[in-house]
Amino acid sequence: MRYLTMALTKGRLAKQTMQLLEKVGISCEEMTDPATRKLIFINEELKLKFFLAKGPDVPTYVEYGAADIGVVGEDTIMEEGRKIYEVLDLGFGKCRMCVAGPEEAAALLNGQEQIRVATKYPKIARDYFTERKNQTVEIIKLNGSIELAPIVGLAEVIVDIVETGSTLKENGLKVLEEVCPLSARVVVNPVSMRMENARITKLLDDMNRILTLK
Amino acid sequence: MNQKILHTPEGLRDIYSDECERKQILEQRLHQVPASFGYRDIETPSIEFFDVFGSDIGTIPSRDLFKFFDREGNTLVLRPDFTPSIARAASRYFQNVDHPIRLSYLGRSFVNYSGLQGRLKENTQMGAELIGASGADADAEIIAMATETMLAAGLTEFQISIGHVAFFESLAEEAGFDEDTVLRLRNLIHNRNTFGVEKLLGSLEEEKDQTAAGPLDERIRRLLIALPTLTGGGEVLDKAFRMSEGLRAQEAVVRLKKVLELLKVYGLERYTAFDLGMLSVYMYYTGIIFRGYTYGTGEAVVKGGRYDALLRHFGKDLPSIGFVVVISQLLNALQRQKIEILPEHERYLILYGEEAAEEAVSKAVAWRKQGKYTELMLLASEEDRKKSDEEYRCEGGYAGVVRL
Repeated sequence: MRYLTMALTKGRLAKQTMQLLEKVGISCEEMTDPATRKLIFINEELKLKFFLAKGPDVPTYVEYGAADIGVVGEDTIMEEGRKIYEVLDLGFGKCRMCVAGPEEAAALLNGQEQIRVATKYPKIARDYFTERKNQTVEIIKLNGSIELAPIVGLAEVIVDIVETGSTLKENGLKVLEEVCPLSARVVVNPVSMRMENARITKLLDDMNRILTLK
Repeated sequence: MNQKILHTPEGLRDIYSDECERKQILEQRLHQVPASFGYRDIETPSIEFFDVFGSDIGTIPSRDLFKFFDREGNTLVLRPDFTPSIARAASRYFQNVDHPIRLSYLGRSFVNYSGLQGRLKENTQMGAELIGASGADADAEIIAMATETMLAAGLTEFQISIGHVAFFESLAEEAGFDEDTVLRLRNLIHNRNTFGVEKLLGSLEEEKDQTAAGPLDERIRRLLIALPTLTGGGEVLDKAFRMSEGLRAQEAVVRLKKVLELLKVYGLERYTAFDLGMLSVYMYYTGIIFRGYTYGTGEAVVKGGRYDALLRHFGKDLPSIGFVVVISQLLNALQRQKIEILPEHERYLILYGEEAAEEAVSKAVAWRKQGKYTELMLLASEEDRKKSDEEYRCEGGYAGVVRL
């Protein structure tokens, strides 16, 4: 039997995924050891390999078939636009993609004004403004602390993930529009889906059963 | 020295020595398959007018094409895909032919993928097109040929997945969705996003309540949601047949069933699977589409389908179907599956000192006449002479080395 390889998004998503997998009888003890420096973890019995990667890299690993299955946030899937199958909604890691800014910026969103939008997600921001709102905007790509941009005058609004909204609030910003709700997804390489259909389908069905029990 | 002149541009590479030999042997083996089915070769230019690959043809997105201008200011394109070129050529040269035309090709294609993706921009492709045949027998012939090429490459574990674009399209049409909804559904089904389909249909339902339009046919709703998972052997066709009772989409299933029966006669049905959720980015496909998958590569190695409307763009209305093998993908897969491509000829080496030059040349001439691939090497320096025959043999992979 061949190994099935799973790419998990580092951090909370990976932990929650492993908890779910444990419920369907898949565990990987190596991974729970906090001192480990290993990059790849193997469950010999079930012929499964796991590795942790940065979110935006997970769709890349899966598209090229370096991983058969991946677990990643929907925001990353939308932003990367890779040729992968999005087969299961895990229901956790829930948050929203939002347009946020100071309250007075709301007026700028209803006109034809060419505003500046700071974001970590240029593709999602562009699709939202040009396709859905039909507004021409200038996108400024940033890599973190997006909330800074409207405060220091780099942009009028931002497009970013909002979980609780407390960071926004503390900085005098608020959600102006919701782009879409987000959650964690299981993605699969199209070739793996064909060549290892039985194993992958069973895994997905098992996971889905636990999810619907909740 | 300018380092740049030693490097190739991103996405382009040199192929040489053993790899080049393996590639060419593979190309020849694959190329034999359409020839054995009676296909004749065609060579079209690498450069064509932009319109041949324009957006109304429905091939690669135009931003991914290599574009440049001729002296008159016309936009030219390096061909990204052979099918439109061959459709153009066939429309022009086979105006008065009233029986099907069978054409095969082997050549390079060029796609200007955006950077840092690790994709090759130049690829060798081998393929075949059957022009002027609309029946299930033509579909089966092309699929059988695609399967035979996979076998000719030495693959044993692979799958040819077959779908039909009209299945989804007639469902969407019968449901009366607007263009935007169809596009969103296409994307969701293409990504096998079942819950996304459910959500979209749910939200449409709510809107419909407000606009007082008729509700979505329950059969269509169930089929659209099941579509991403309608994959597998012949039993999937039976299931789809039952589910699409009374709908136009059922015609597509009937066609697939006919093709399956013919593939059984070819003796190739065990490599076949069906996938009704398969959609293609090439919008020119109108009927059956298929892809060949194997281990060791994240993408399909064989792609193909029916394009009944494409030749209309070039003034001739002929139903056609074709397939292509992407040779670099196939080579990757073979290498990762450790399937060797053995050279068809053994190579020999004659080592000689300056004094034995004439003897060496005449021996080489004699060997080559016998059909032995013979290389001559002058042992010019002391170092050359010190190396043993065995060392030379191992280094160059020769079958035999003689020293004169």
